Amino acid sequence: MTGKYDAITLEIFWSRLIAVADEAATTLLRTAFSPIVRESNDFATCLLDVHGGTLAECSGGIPAFAGLLGRTARHFLRTFPIDSWSEGDCVITNDPWIGTGHLPDVAMIAPIFHRGRLVAFSGSAAHTPDIGGSLGAQNKEIYEEGICIPPMHFYRGGVRNDDLLRLFLNNVRFPDLMLGDLEAQATANEVCRRRTVDFLDDTGLDDLGDLAAAIQGMSERAMRDAIRALPDGVYRAAVDADGFDDHPTHIACAVTIAGDGMTVDYAGSSKQNGRATNCTMNYTQAYSIYPIKCVLDPHTRRNEGSYRPVSIVAPEGAVMNAVRPSAVAARHLTGHLLSCAIYQALAQVVPDRILADSGGAPALRARIGGVNSEGERFSAILFASAGMGASSRFDGLSTTAFPTNSGAGSLEALEAVGPILFTRKEYRQDSGGAGEFRGGLGQVVEIENLTTQPMQVMIIGDRERHPALGVAGGKPGACAYARIDGVTPVRLKSRTALAPGSRIAINFAGGGGYGDPCKRSALALADDVRNGMVSERAAREDYRGGTAA
Amino acid sequence: MNTRRTARIGVDIGGTFTDFVFHDEARGITRTGKRLTTPSEPSRAIIEGIERLLSETGSEAAQIHSIVHGTTLITNTVLERTGGKVGLIANAGLTDTLEMGRETRYDVDDLFQRAVPVIVPRYLRRGVAGRMLADGSEREPLDEEALLKEVAFLVDEGIEALAICFMNAYRNPSHERRAEQLVRERFPELLLSVSSSVAPELREYERTNTACVNAYVQPRVHGYLDRLTADLESLGFVGDLSIMLSGGGLTTIEEAKNFPVRLIESGPAAGAMAAAHIARQIGEDHLISFDMGGTTAKMCLIEHGQPHVKHDFEAGRLERFKQGSGLPLKVTVIDMIEIGAGGGSIANVDALGLMKVGPRSASSVPGPVCYGRGGQEPTVTDADLLLGYLNPAFFLGGEMTLQLDAVRDAFERKLVAPLSIDVETAARGVQEIVNESMAAATRMHLAEKGKDPRDYAMLAFGGAGPVHAYGLARLLKVRKLIVPMGAGVISAFGFLVAAPAVDDARGYLAPIGRVDWDQVEALFREMEEKATALLSSVGAGDGAIRFERQADMRYVGQGFEITVPLPNGSLSVDMAPQIQSAFDEEYRRLFDRVVRGVPIEAVNWRLAASVPAQSISLVHAPIDAPAERPAREVYFPGAGRVLARVFDRYALRPGDVIAGPAVFEERESSFAVGPEGSVTVDDQSNLVVSISYPN
Repeated sequence: MTGKYDAITLEIFWSRLIAVADEAATTLLRTAFSPIVRESNDFATCLLDVHGGTLAECSGGIPAFAGLLGRTARHFLRTFPIDSWSEGDCVITNDPWIGTGHLPDVAMIAPIFHRGRLVAFSGSAAHTPDIGGSLGAQNKEIYEEGICIPPMHFYRGGVRNDDLLRLFLNNVRFPDLMLGDLEAQATANEVCRRRTVDFLDDTGLDDLGDLAAAIQGMSERAMRDAIRALPDGVYRAAVDADGFDDHPTHIACAVTIAGDGMTVDYAGSSKQNGRATNCTMNYTQAYSIYPIKCVLDPHTRRNEGSYRPVSIVAPEGAVMNAVRPSAVAARHLTGHLLSCAIYQALAQVVPDRILADSGGAPALRARIGGVNSEGERFSAILFASAGMGASSRFDGLSTTAFPTNSGAGSLEALEAVGPILFTRKEYRQDSGGAGEFRGGLGQVVEIENLTTQPMQVMIIGDRERHPALGVAGGKPGACAYARIDGVTPVRLKSRTALAPGSRIAINFAGGGGYGDPCKRSALALADDVRNGMVSERAAREDYRGGTAA
Repeated sequence: MNTRRTARIGVDIGGTFTDFVFHDEARGITRTGKRLTTPSEPSRAIIEGIERLLSETGSEAAQIHSIVHGTTLITNTVLERTGGKVGLIANAGLTDTLEMGRETRYDVDDLFQRAVPVIVPRYLRRGVAGRMLADGSEREPLDEEALLKEVAFLVDEGIEALAICFMNAYRNPSHERRAEQLVRERFPELLLSVSSSVAPELREYERTNTACVNAYVQPRVHGYLDRLTADLESLGFVGDLSIMLSGGGLTTIEEAKNFPVRLIESGPAAGAMAAAHIARQIGEDHLISFDMGGTTAKMCLIEHGQPHVKHDFEAGRLERFKQGSGLPLKVTVIDMIEIGAGGGSIANVDALGLMKVGPRSASSVPGPVCYGRGGQEPTVTDADLLLGYLNPAFFLGGEMTLQLDAVRDAFERKLVAPLSIDVETAARGVQEIVNESMAAATRMHLAEKGKDPRDYAMLAFGGAGPVHAYGLARLLKVRKLIVPMGAGVISAFGFLVAAPAVDDARGYLAPIGRVDWDQVEALFREMEEKATALLSSVGAGDGAIRFERQADMRYVGQGFEITVPLPNGSLSVDMAPQIQSAFDEEYRRLFDRVVRGVPIEAVNWRLAASVPAQSISLVHAPIDAPAERPAREVYFPGAGRVLARVFDRYALRPGDVIAGPAVFEERESSFAVGPEGSVTVDDQSNLVVSISYPN
């Protein structure tokens, strides 16, 4: 057993600390106003050790983000040395190079004192309702994307920094909501602090030093054991995506396994481009580690120890390691692709443990805005998902996001908010890549403008020309596309006017298939045909090599 | 022979046992019973059980005033996916709503999770033209011809029940009503579930799902309830038969047949109703009810004598304790948290070398090792035995002798050897881990409501509840603990104290400043008339019915609602300021703040109609025997093994005061209190424990 803790004490203490992070998450979730926090789980909370390593990460939210807060905290510690922190402090930033990768995400780190000594930090990140600036993938520099707050004190010794707040709130569209959400987040940090102190009081521990080492050591060992079990070598893969205008995104990835360590190197990938599809190294780190952990060691509770055995590197100035003042608002268009490249590389070593490319890597989002019959502005975000990639055991999940986990809202709720009509939201037949296990189906969502004036439709997506690829002989999923009234094509990174009475149909991509389609079980294929997931023609041509099914 | 109808019977059909409670206040008789459930023909166990109770109490069927019934039939049908073949009629182009669901993964770490199985396969989901808009206006008329053609197709496919759900039907149900009428005329035998009747609320996925689950369980429920009614009649029963709703109220057989989905949590609701009854009796306004059985522990908050309810429930989970792996329903249920921690929960060592307890359970078959029925893996109950909480010679009142040697052996093999610790340490670990996970779940449940467990008393029941109550209370820093008599069977008493009730709702989304109040009044009047008719049919006088009006409200732009009590009296534009302040108050109570400058809107309008709860007295006459048994050593965290006095609960008298450490043994359970607790026996035979903490 590890250090001075036995198997029972460690289990109890570890679970208590996870519960601390989860209670902070519950606080954030129930008090946050931003629908993006609730609907697309865009938040994270964690407890960190005094060195800024995560110790317990919340179970919900975006799994990749909690781990990132360690990088944020360590950055803060360079600006504000350890002995400069006081009880009641809370430091904030939304700098994409320090936090979770774009301006709308605000990160907060606050110190936890016990008996007068700094023993830990609480961390949180959440998507705010608005950060000023202009939206969309066409921005060129970060300055267009909103206000950027460097690491500053939101609270100092329990007193709110109202100067900072006034400046901040003066630059966003919904200052009341913003203030509410900032306070909600600070409260989540406070709950984390209070519960940690309760824990220390209950257990009689002076600090978390030994416990952190024991817990992080266990997670690290589990990850190293999983890596060591794989054959050493360098496994390479590359994926391509539409990118922006005439700049397709190329992700080259070399996964090196050497003993109990792993390196993912993105050398050879596209350079950063002049648009908002670039991402910062923080975001790259998060969206590389998460898919790796799911494959190697899905069940051990995540913390800093889980990340130590894996290093993620990319040349400075690459699209996944963009430098200032690059725009990064649509960073997921690059970041979500990393999971595909990593899995294609790992398919050479552990083909039974990975997924084929997911249609929703990257996710496609649409926002519809306009003016209703009373002359009031409205805006609705469409959350809908493409198909997931298949695995060696199962078909890909249809209309389900990966690597994010953003859900779909209610169409009735959207229709109640704005004068739009949903005329279709159904599975796209034959959109799942053929395979022994079929890729998940994408969907088509068709929306009609019910007003007498044009509406603005903003789409940010990819996979118009680059489908989600299959693995082990599986076929690619269908590409994404959008059309107005069945004829006029709409690019997937664009703002378009939708005329009164017109309909826009957005077709979400399908996931890649896994394995030789000829090996698909007759029962599964017949079921797909009966349910219209696969057409009779595709069943014949794609699955049975043109012979009768 | 006295044939006054004074006896009341509660029947709880569970997965393994069907439990009975017979109570005749006039004759001073209370009796419980148990039969093995007869899954293929559930009414058989009921009839046999009732016959036996009648003969044991020297009663006749004609003396039964009422039978109240709770069942897990519906929840199990959904869980096991053994319902009928169902078809769905929906809007053309939108028939996949049911299968797409919320489009989320319920376990973000598991790349191999399965899709939640849909209960109406795609080829049985048919679209027809016709569309309502969000404001209730008609965009496109219903294509009646296509409707009948599609239903004919489904009937040919052999469906047993049909669900109908159209977009915005919560706002204007006329397409659904017309479709219902046409289908009834053409296919009079077909069972029908229409979304605007089953759950007329905003959000098409949840509403469709609720209508489909209703249709899915309907064929079985009809068969079962028809049979039960006939069997009871032939037994000579002439009283009222009612069924417990998921929200803890009672309803009629007719209503249960129309809306069986509302019975989905019928069984678990009884325990909460019993706890609420005790809370009222002892005048405890802030209570955590803690019910721990063989497989799970359930916690729920009871405030001012009423259990918290909520209006969403997830049924039929693929993985029982993973939220998001099931079918979300729009039904009113008791708001409880259930976790995989029970007496049968199995302890093991995980891949990292840490000890884990549950959620896997040895259940009742084979059960814990100490039962001697073939269980090989150490469980929570086995640990409790090793630590002195259970009396090996007095389990189930002495009917079963617990196997201590076999338990030691199992602990040696499964925990002691892999962890290099001794049996005592392992047993303490099992108990501490299970108590910690229950404490964590309770804290989280309260945190979601912005509450602190320290402000609550705790009521413990269920077979394992009293055993773990003291440890759990200490972890939560609860100062007052109540352990009622008959902890193992108390749930069934919930059937006897429940009263008829109706929970209804109508969706109508509008900012408070723009609500058409005449319309809201009309919605409430319609709901009140329906509720009055139903409650009167079960004997409630007009004046006895209590109406509570509520609205699900939110800030404009927010994605979730809170349920806000509305002011009494007719609603009109003049009431808007009062409604705003009711919202502010509730929002602040839940989230400690309000947001200024953002308008609020109502989404659903709710009516809760009820008649006053029944009261029964369960005063227990102490038996005339020495209360104290030989003392034994019991382990308490913090105190270690200490010598505890042991008492026969049935021999204790009201007013007795006993300082811990002590153990109180009764037939179905055992309660152990540590050195920091002091126990008083109250006049209802409850053990009331006050726990002291340093500083």
